[in-house]
Amino acid sequence: MSVDTRLDHPETLRVEPLLQATGVTKTYRTGASSVQALRQVDLSVAAGELVAVMGPSGSGKTTLLNCLSGLDDIDAGTVLIGGESIHQMSDARRTRHRARAMGFVFQAFNLIPVFSAVENVELPLLLAGRPAKTARAAARETLERVGLGHRLDHRPAELSGGEQQRVTVARALAGRPLLVWADEPTGNLDTETAAAVMDLLRELNDDGLTLLLVTHDDEIGASAGRRVVVRDGEVVSDERQ
Amino acid sequence: MLLVLIFVLIPSIPFLCIIAFKPVLRRLAVRNAQRRPRETMLVLLGSLLGTAIITGSFIVGDTLEASIRRSAYTQLGPVDEVVRTQSPEVAAGVERTVRALPAGTVDGTLRILSVEAAVATAGDNPKAEPTATLHEVDFAEAGRFGGDPAATGVTGATPAAGEAAIGADLARTLAVGRGDRVVINAYGSRSELTVVNELPRLGIAGLGAGFQGSESPNLFVAPGTIDRLRAEAPQAAAAASPPTSAVLVSNPGNVIDGAARTDEIKATLERALAGAPATVGPAKQDLLEAAKTNGDQFTELFSSIGFFSVLAGILLLVNIFVMLAQERKTELGMMRAVGLKRAGLVGSFATEGWLYALGASAVGTIAGLGVGRLVVLVAAGIFATGDFTIELRYQADPASVQQGFTIGFLISLVTVVVTSLWVSRLNVIRAIRDLPEPESHRQRLAATVFGALIALMGIALTLSGISGEEPFSVLGGPAFAGLGAVLVLRRWLPRRALVSLVSVGVLVWAVVVFEVFPKIFENTDIPIFVEQGIILTAAAVALVTQNQSAIGSLLRRLGGGSNMSLRLGLAYPLARRFRTGMILTMYALVVFTLTFITVLSHLFEGQIEEFTRKASGGFDIRMASNPANPVPVEEVRKTDGVDTVAEQAVVPGEWRSPAGDGEGGDGGYEGWPVAGYDQAFFSRGGPALSELDPAYPDEQAAYRAVLADPSLVIVGEFFLQEGGGGPPEEPLKPGAKLTVRDALSGRSRELTVAAVSEGGFTNEPALVARRTVDEIFGPLATTNTLLVSVAPGTDAQALAERLNGRFLANGADADSFRKTVGENLAQQTQFFRLMQGYLALGLVVGIAGLGVVMVRAVRERRRQIGVLRSLGFESGAVRKAFIAESAFVALEGVVIGCVLANLTAWRLVGSEAFGEDMAFGVPWVQLGLLVLGTFLASLLATAAPAQQASKIKPAVALRLAD
Repeated sequence: MSVDTRLDHPETLRVEPLLQATGVTKTYRTGASSVQALRQVDLSVAAGELVAVMGPSGSGKTTLLNCLSGLDDIDAGTVLIGGESIHQMSDARRTRHRARAMGFVFQAFNLIPVFSAVENVELPLLLAGRPAKTARAAARETLERVGLGHRLDHRPAELSGGEQQRVTVARALAGRPLLVWADEPTGNLDTETAAAVMDLLRELNDDGLTLLLVTHDDEIGASAGRRVVVRDGEVVSDERQ
Repeated sequence: MLLVLIFVLIPSIPFLCIIAFKPVLRRLAVRNAQRRPRETMLVLLGSLLGTAIITGSFIVGDTLEASIRRSAYTQLGPVDEVVRTQSPEVAAGVERTVRALPAGTVDGTLRILSVEAAVATAGDNPKAEPTATLHEVDFAEAGRFGGDPAATGVTGATPAAGEAAIGADLARTLAVGRGDRVVINAYGSRSELTVVNELPRLGIAGLGAGFQGSESPNLFVAPGTIDRLRAEAPQAAAAASPPTSAVLVSNPGNVIDGAARTDEIKATLERALAGAPATVGPAKQDLLEAAKTNGDQFTELFSSIGFFSVLAGILLLVNIFVMLAQERKTELGMMRAVGLKRAGLVGSFATEGWLYALGASAVGTIAGLGVGRLVVLVAAGIFATGDFTIELRYQADPASVQQGFTIGFLISLVTVVVTSLWVSRLNVIRAIRDLPEPESHRQRLAATVFGALIALMGIALTLSGISGEEPFSVLGGPAFAGLGAVLVLRRWLPRRALVSLVSVGVLVWAVVVFEVFPKIFENTDIPIFVEQGIILTAAAVALVTQNQSAIGSLLRRLGGGSNMSLRLGLAYPLARRFRTGMILTMYALVVFTLTFITVLSHLFEGQIEEFTRKASGGFDIRMASNPANPVPVEEVRKTDGVDTVAEQAVVPGEWRSPAGDGEGGDGGYEGWPVAGYDQAFFSRGGPALSELDPAYPDEQAAYRAVLADPSLVIVGEFFLQEGGGGPPEEPLKPGAKLTVRDALSGRSRELTVAAVSEGGFTNEPALVARRTVDEIFGPLATTNTLLVSVAPGTDAQALAERLNGRFLANGADADSFRKTVGENLAQQTQFFRLMQGYLALGLVVGIAGLGVVMVRAVRERRRQIGVLRSLGFESGAVRKAFIAESAFVALEGVVIGCVLANLTAWRLVGSEAFGEDMAFGVPWVQLGLLVLGTFLASLLATAAPAQQASKIKPAVALRLAD
């Protein structure tokens, strides 16, 4: 069964480990100089884990997340998700794979400003090929789950920071992905809102969602099931808590 | 240079100071242009076209003025006044009188005797010029005339008996040179001469009868030749008009300067010649005034139709600056936070705009020289055909180039400064956080007060326009009132319903107002159509913009609810209403005008049969001949294929209208031909009449009445048109009084207008009874024009050519009405095409504008594209989304312009204001090509940015954004 077929049935991708990265290397070249952002990184993540990726600024956390999710290319190594090497896929297949199997939560929310909340949330569902009616229904349901059932038709500019981040979370979850990648999901939020968002994510993790979370926040790091520390492009520590 | 100094350098001082003394602001202003050269080029391209169009318009006017003015050198030279007399004896007396004036009053006099004649080559297969002019003049005196021999064009000795000196134009037509033999025919007599000299078209040698076209088919003959021809004339020719005896007068000064004293010298001559049967004509002054008037009219025409493109350029600049401000909002907020004052913000933005304005105006002026040259090239072909030709020679006056540059610069500068002031009103925190600026209570109140004032102004304009019969106010007043109403009422009424209602109201008004007030709009000129186009476009764009969501929903349903590229492609234009509205307006304005002209051109093209019917009055051929040797009517009647012949005597009359502005250089008289007709003229219906005195039940009654009453006249729609083009300022109505005069004899008569004809030709003579012409013009009134109807089955044009060949010696010039009307319509069509080409430049502005917006959109949405790619949007889908967005906006703008133009043309054609009785029809093929061409060009402009967007890597976009 090809990965494309299997993507129609995401449960077939629930192999163990769900994510297997081996010898991942990434170098940025600017003119004559180059920076090795990731050096021979190995990482595996099992289904249902909540992994916090931590480290100082410039350590390569976000680069690691981008490379493991397939948003960025790698210079060496392999990344298997559901048993398939994502960097050997064509750009189109990799894109389809992302639409069906992954969700993203960004620090800067990154909602599409010209779409309403429900339109932003249903976007990945439509991209994954779901019929419009089904996508809309799922989007509504997810927004209600994150407490925004009364703000469906509001544009991002009309929502508070916390509300926008909840929409981002809803967008990441609406398609029931295998993996959710979150890059500093609480970075732009006040303490109370950040706590609420993290409670939501933990709740979803308790329901079986696999979550990789980049964070500076020690409290969030401490509450994760597993803490991976990255420094100078290398994984220097990987502890289960 | 003073213009440039005052209007360019002085306004630039603040910006020069910023560049010289404010390094931070300089850096802010200059860096974006430096870092994004491709975008800068696009902005400059879109902005420079406005200046190019303005400069081009001036150059077209300069060219026409200079080309006509050139006739001052080529067809008059030192001649400033022409004193026409009844005979050579009177002319001799006039010359003696003028020479007796105090020294320095004039600097030359020259007697000349002239007659129209047919000139042909000798031998078999002759070439002929049916309307050449024979001149008798003393060459020695002519060479000294005016004190500048080089300006006279006359060289060599006076031709002796049997000899002739030929002008360059006639020599070219007949393909003859020195030593060749030519045959002259006048007064029914014939004489063969040898060409001994060739003269250039210059000064006396190129003498023309006023401004009648660029060519002068002159032949100079020995003194006594004309009298001998007349003496040898058969008896019938004794009735022909006498030759023209004139005294040419030169004012002190050169060819152009001398004309400045014409009024003074004319008055002196008239005093000196009081009582003598002579009339003083200010030939040079009339020519120079005609040159200026025609040049100005052309400049106005091209400026008016180019105005839409200039407006599109202004909208593009506003759009660009608003986009720039939005893109840089965060950094501008930070700059304000760290200490940059609002004035500094405005200064940096405006300085960047000043750089664009300066660059665009400079390049645009150069482009305008090219635009002008292109227009002149095409127009030269148009003006080279027909009976009245002008030899166009490209001319770009430095003053016009400076004017074009200055106006283009000022328009761009004012636009960017005002926009900079507007976009610089930002709250620091909201800017840093990129939050929208809400409308404050103060701003709302200000808008309400402003709206109330606008509404009151609009109402006042409308009412005053109706009472004062001022079309601009009547058309525009309600639009202002509507705008004001929206600004006031939006606090209490739903915006979408309010704007939609007002927009529909303004649209309806702008279309039907011509019918509601036909009297106010009966002399509608181009600026009114410009105003109408702007109002219609603005109202339609406002209506569409407010209802974009409904349009978008419909399109999404039609395109498939799950089509992500379509969904995304529609989302941005529907959300960014201001930006989309600007682009829509740019497209709609230009497409409106292009479509309007295309539709009018199509309507006129299809009217050849109708126009022929109206102009011909039931006849098939018009045949003019030499008044000194007119075609024998009975011979024409006996010609095979001829059915009916009507006779006309057409003479050069002088007219004074109490309703006119008395601009005629001679006591308020202006020249216009008058034709005396007989019973046969309207036996087949007569030319169509557009207005009759109520006393006449039908056209036949009007024609009969004029024939019976020597105090009545029928005038054409273009009677006494100003300056050679366009309808008269005050078109005459039945019942108006006119005075007609024979300049030579001084005989005059007051006439009353019985009817107005819509013959269709702009130079249609005024029609009176034959005996009226005979009584006023005496021996000048010869039957020199025949109207011929052909027998069934006869080809009219073929018959006309046979008549020309047979009556060559009489200077016969016959053409079928269909051919003449066809040539006129073809010339008109070519002119429409020229205007369409000119307007197409505006489309370039719109398309460049869309290209700029899409290039900036890629930059603006970089992060969002990264997000979409991360969510699963494929790169091909991103490209399609951009193309869909561009296609949607372009198509909407084109459709708005097209529909409005057709609607406007439809109402106009059916209204009284239009005057013509035409059936409306849509030129589907031409419009289809226009829509398709514009659409494809728009997609092409988006191709590069769309491709660039599709290549954005998600991680790179997200990282750069974060």
